[in-house]
Amino acid sequence: MYKKLVDLYAGRELSTELEIEMYQAAQQNPELALEMTQLRDTVDGLHQLAPIEFTEETSQRILMKIYAKGIEIQQPSPVPFHLQYQLPIQS
Amino acid sequence: MPNDALKDSLAEKRWLSALSKGDPTALGGLYEMYGERIFRYAYRMLGNRTDAEDATAETFLRVLRRSSELRADGAFRTWLFRITRNLCIDKLRQHKLLELPPDAMYSVSDDRATLRLTVHQALSELPIEYREPLMLCDLEDLAAKEAAEVLKISVPALKSRLYRGRRALKDKLQGTVDIK
Repeated sequence: MYKKLVDLYAGRELSTELEIEMYQAAQQNPELALEMTQLRDTVDGLHQLAPIEFTEETSQRILMKIYAKGIEIQQPSPVPFHLQYQLPIQS
Repeated sequence: MPNDALKDSLAEKRWLSALSKGDPTALGGLYEMYGERIFRYAYRMLGNRTDAEDATAETFLRVLRRSSELRADGAFRTWLFRITRNLCIDKLRQHKLLELPPDAMYSVSDDRATLRLTVHQALSELPIEYREPLMLCDLEDLAAKEAAEVLKISVPALKSRLYRGRRALKDKLQGTVDIK
């Protein structure tokens, strides 16, 4: 039962109330506290892996590969600033 | 639905509808929305930039080829990841590269870079059935339902692999990284 709860705790899927209960249980149980910390640190470590570089050069190389197959990707033109927001007209 | 997700969903519908009508800018619009995420996912699957760029280009070529069948019902993103996954698995089989080569480049070079490389290395050593749920859910932030659809498994099976994968990763990291 605790194993399942620790899995949910590590992925931040527990409600606040249950998390508080888990903290309280962990205070009485060092083994549980260690498992909770280690598993959450592991998930956090994964989240820190996120930024793989996607540079303009990478994007251009992908577009060139598509172009080499006879398809030209046309980038949509950005929406002009004056069309992005509707300003109230003062009477 | 959060504002950004709603905006993305509307933009996706607009581009898919434009694509089916032959609008030449529609593929560009979809590439702008998903190109980076698809590249990142392919890079994590394959471990090298050139193969990831090839897989990303091929994914969008398939979008164009299948443009008449695509539906703007929210399943497009899942379909896109599934196509990329299949292409990556084919490439891995071709190159017999079932292990990720550790040539990943990360944009930040501080003290955490070592930790990231260690985590990346440990991730690359996990069996693929554990690695994929971690990549989709923890790295690409897909919902469990979406990740399950990409992998063609049930949500409970996905969650079971995800939790086991996290524990396996934790075990691998123990001793190499100071996780308290």
